[in-house]
Amino acid sequence: MAEKKRKERGDANRHTGKKKSKRTSDNQRKKTCPRLPSSLKKEIEHLNPTPVDVNEIDSDVYEYEEELPEEESSKNKRYDPVSVNDNNDLSSDFEDVNVQSDDDGNNIIGIKRNEIVSDDDSREEDDGRHERMMIPKLTTTWKNDVIPTLYPESEYNSSHDVVEGDGHISIEDLLNTLQDAPEHSRLRLRNQQIENSSRTVHAPLPKADQAKVERKVAYEISKKQVTRWQSIIQRNREALTVYFDEKIDLGFSTIGAIASEFKPITEFEGKMAALVHHHKVIEVHNNDGVSLLDLDDKVTIEDKKDMQNRAAKLRSQNQAAKLQSLLFLHEMKAKRVKKIKSKTYRLLKKNRLKAKSSQLEMDPEAANEYAMKQECQRAEERMTLRHKQKSPWLQRKMQRGLDKQDIGTCAAVNEHFQRHEELIRKMYNMDSSSSDDSTYEEDNENTADSDLDKANNILRKAKQKTVEVLEEDDKMPNSGLPSLPFYEATIKEVNLTVQEYEDSMKKLEDSGGSEDSKVASTSGRRVFGMAKAQTIDDDNKVELQKFCNNSGSKDDFEAKKSCNIENEGSDHLQKDVNFDEIVKNLGPKTTYEVSIFASDTWKKAKNKSDIDTDIKKSSKFPRPVRHNVKNSEKDQWREDSDTDDEGLMVDGILTSASKPSYELPSQEELIRQAFAGDDIEDDFEKDKQEILNEENPLLLPGWGQWTDIQQKKGLPSWMVKEHENARRKREEALKKRKDAQLKNVIISEKSSKKAEKLQTRTVPYPYTSKDVFHQSMRMPIGPESNPATSFGPLTRPEVVKKPGVIIKPIEFEEVNPYDKPGQQSVKNKKLNRI
Amino acid sequence: MKIKVISRSTEEFTRERSQDLQRVFRNYDPILRPQEKAVEYVRALNAVKLDKIFARPFIGAMDGHVDAISCMAKNPSQLKEVFSGSMDGDIRLWDIAARRTVCQFPGHQGAVRGLTASTDGRILVSCGTDSTVRLWNVPVASFGDSDGSIKTTIEPASVYVWKNAFCAVDHQWDGEHFATGGAQVDIWNHNRSQPVNSFVWGSDTVISVRFNPGEPNLLASSASDRSINLYDLRMDTPVRKMIMMTKTNSIAWNPMEPINFTVANEDGYCYSYDSRKLGEAKCVHKDHVSAVMDIDYSPTGREFVTGSYDRTVRIFPYNGGHSREIYHTKRMQRVFCVKFSGDGSYVISGSDDTNLRLWKAKASEQLGVVLPREKKKHDYHEAIKKRYRHLPEVNRIARHRHLPRPIYKASSLLRVIADAKKKKEERRKAHSAPGSVTTKPLRKRRIIREVE
Repeated sequence: MAEKKRKERGDANRHTGKKKSKRTSDNQRKKTCPRLPSSLKKEIEHLNPTPVDVNEIDSDVYEYEEELPEEESSKNKRYDPVSVNDNNDLSSDFEDVNVQSDDDGNNIIGIKRNEIVSDDDSREEDDGRHERMMIPKLTTTWKNDVIPTLYPESEYNSSHDVVEGDGHISIEDLLNTLQDAPEHSRLRLRNQQIENSSRTVHAPLPKADQAKVERKVAYEISKKQVTRWQSIIQRNREALTVYFDEKIDLGFSTIGAIASEFKPITEFEGKMAALVHHHKVIEVHNNDGVSLLDLDDKVTIEDKKDMQNRAAKLRSQNQAAKLQSLLFLHEMKAKRVKKIKSKTYRLLKKNRLKAKSSQLEMDPEAANEYAMKQECQRAEERMTLRHKQKSPWLQRKMQRGLDKQDIGTCAAVNEHFQRHEELIRKMYNMDSSSSDDSTYEEDNENTADSDLDKANNILRKAKQKTVEVLEEDDKMPNSGLPSLPFYEATIKEVNLTVQEYEDSMKKLEDSGGSEDSKVASTSGRRVFGMAKAQTIDDDNKVELQKFCNNSGSKDDFEAKKSCNIENEGSDHLQKDVNFDEIVKNLGPKTTYEVSIFASDTWKKAKNKSDIDTDIKKSSKFPRPVRHNVKNSEKDQWREDSDTDDEGLMVDGILTSASKPSYELPSQEELIRQAFAGDDIEDDFEKDKQEILNEENPLLLPGWGQWTDIQQKKGLPSWMVKEHENARRKREEALKKRKDAQLKNVIISEKSSKKAEKLQTRTVPYPYTSKDVFHQSMRMPIGPESNPATSFGPLTRPEVVKKPGVIIKPIEFEEVNPYDKPGQQSVKNKKLNRI
Repeated sequence: MKIKVISRSTEEFTRERSQDLQRVFRNYDPILRPQEKAVEYVRALNAVKLDKIFARPFIGAMDGHVDAISCMAKNPSQLKEVFSGSMDGDIRLWDIAARRTVCQFPGHQGAVRGLTASTDGRILVSCGTDSTVRLWNVPVASFGDSDGSIKTTIEPASVYVWKNAFCAVDHQWDGEHFATGGAQVDIWNHNRSQPVNSFVWGSDTVISVRFNPGEPNLLASSASDRSINLYDLRMDTPVRKMIMMTKTNSIAWNPMEPINFTVANEDGYCYSYDSRKLGEAKCVHKDHVSAVMDIDYSPTGREFVTGSYDRTVRIFPYNGGHSREIYHTKRMQRVFCVKFSGDGSYVISGSDDTNLRLWKAKASEQLGVVLPREKKKHDYHEAIKKRYRHLPEVNRIARHRHLPRPIYKASSLLRVIADAKKKKEERRKAHSAPGSVTTKPLRKRRIIREVE
């Protein structure tokens, strides 16, 4: 049945459709329109006194018509027609359904026609239509949920037309009926308002499009929502280190906190708690446990008194101890204050010294005394060698090695040695020509016969004095200190050294004569007058150092020679002597000063082996010290040279006029001698050429020279060309070399295989420029070359986390994007322990 | 005469306690140590070699299942608890510290395809091909039953039967919603027997679904129509769809960067996307030679682990194109699921051979208590390794891995194929009009289109 019906319906549809379209087209052509009720017309005119714009209305109508997608779709039978009917609130009358579907097609055609017509038709013709088209507009504006349907005339709804002229009941019509009602005017007013503020209602889009738009908007929103993380992510990515181990709550804190939470559970615990929390116990606890025993009130008053007494005694004892410690502290403080070397302190000291010195100058006796004192000190130093090596502190330092010491210690050691040096040094400045004992060392060694006697006298005197001093010391034991064992030991040592000293003196006296004779015959150990021949001979031994202060001017040329000259002739006292020879070229007058730096001179020859090792050990540090000493010596020499004649400056042997005078070779001569037999520049040129050939090779030699025929014919043209090319290429390559412009330099461009594994071929990824990469690799990051404060940050890993701590996902927090990206980044407030 | 004195303030040099270290001064002048750089290079080389010596990533296997393991879930509140579901419908709770089963959750008729636990670790949600979603109460571990003798079985707290089979489930972070993927994406509440919301876009099966842990209202899913979808719970509508050339097997959001997620693709690559710009991948992670089955981010967000059909587990840096580490054993078969542990120092993989395997995330890491001095040393080694990693020798040793032969061969074959393709492309470009042939960058190549 149903099928039949549908068929019928379909037929009817088709039929009516055809018919209708025909009719409507007829209608349009005739330009007859359904008449409006006159009242309605008036109303419209009243509302719109001005002619309505055609286009506007047309568009309105068009949009209104668009509002029927479901109906339209029903034509395609995609929708259940019944449901469509339901939507439209129409009766289940077949005819109505048919009409509706008819209308759709009709309407569309009609509208299209309208559009077309409206373009060229006159306004008057359209007037009627305008009015008619106003109606749907009015109806739609009334309320959104009213679904208006346009019923153009057709044979099926002609009844409507017949009854009312048009198929519409407008609001005005309805209002007209209410004219008598009291609310009428208000209703009308409202209606008018609504009409005035009328807007077009856009048709809803198809569902797919709707969803699309919705999704688009939703995506935008969620994008925006997500974008707020940007700055946080940025910060975390830029951070050098991300921490995930912050703020771990272990659950419980201190022992006190745990104890305070304790509550007695069992019976026993309850009893204990009752005892512990007894008010008396607490009181006692508060009183520092002094009256712990009077819990049971068994203690008598006397006992109490006794206890109090005892406590008072204890207190007084404590006080005494405190006082003592205070005293001690005060003492210590005083000592420390004593040691402080402030400026004022120094100033004061200076003043005092000045006063003393002035006193010395004024009073010859005092000066004498002072000199004696000094001399004593010096003699003692020479004998005890206190500042040489003996001190355990110094020994310890030496054992550990001086290079391991810090700067302060080094300085102290230096000072120590300097002091030693100062104390044992010959006193040149001392004006006391005969009484000055300190000159004995060098005099003994070097002076000629005439001087020798003098020196011996002086030495004898000095010896007497030292012996006296020592005897004085020997006499001292009554005072109590010398009873100590170590004192005795030192005394013995000192005596021994005195003996040794005497021995050495004797030996020296013996050798003095022989030495002198040798001087005459074999020109001695240090013959500088005849050095010209010898220096050339001992060329390999001589280490020549040039100090070209002004390389251009030869005037200020200073050649320093340090040579070790073997001393076979002399006795066991001395095997080798170090010289620092300073040759000076001062203008036209060629004189030279020789300052002999016989470091420790013969006196120390006994301890020579020790000294040597000492020198070796402390090979690093003593250099500056010695320089200082030398300089000071030199200064002293110079001062001497001002006052004395030149003979004094030079050692004894040199001063002797009998020696042939030494002519200092000229600068050029010296250089020639030094570089005799080598043509450096040519060699260098050759070397460079070799390296160039090696690194930028020519074409293979032998090309085109294999056979006689080739040689006869000459090279083929292509080969010549090739050769030419190769030559040009090579020249270009040579020009590009780094050492192309540097005449005296060879920069090898050969890459060594060993160095290759320490280099990267390209600049690695995060770096963009070579320089930045090199900069980053410049400093090592190890603990040996960085202090602990910077070693930590340098080696900190990118992610710091603790094993066993659950890391929760990130939580949002406001971040100032203009903040500097700090080290701290992810703040995980909620970290759990298992 | 001026006297030079060593100036030291007593306060600075007096030790507070006798155990305190004496202050030592060093001269850090680089001139004094001209060989320091060379020394450091050798140290770096030795550190890399030591890494190789100490690389023992495999901790142990956990057997107990009788069928392939299809899915895993970690308990967000308990570090040592991991759930695993297998193809025969068995669900187990593992204690990975002791490497044993704590309890079982029987009930599923077919394969278990999805497992997830709520953030507090109390509720376990499972779903499977039997069209049911089951909620379980997770037993709270106490000190008493740590001896391991008791193996309990647990009844489901609730069973929700639905219209279609499920392929994936994931729980919202710090919320009470969870999402299942089957015919569509359904959002469920713990207390409702029906989904509170469902998202449909297209009609194909949803393979995987994952909530964004940082932004709990966002979730992503992948479907068998090769698409990746984004959803927003607040919008009540799907948000965006992107279609790739091959199917995406799994998705993982970066827990520290809620914008970004990485997908495990069928073509053996992983793609990192910015959820705001789906037209182009941010990074393509390639090393697997077969389909990537599962992916999980480390909680630090700096690396992720992938399990592949080529029987290997790999660990990638979040912004690196190639894997940092590859794990394989002779007996490990196709890997179906991988998880990072909650502290980011272990990796758990479940594979076809019915075993769960526990690995260290860093192969040569020292386990147990590490003394501060040891830690300092390790840090230093890491730093110099990182510093000198560009140098050929260090790089070579650090990158060297011993691979199973099939994987080695496959990867070299793939390389040959890729090279050939590239060559062909270049030739085509060279022999056609300039501009007529363009190469699409790899980051866009596998994306078909983005759908609004």
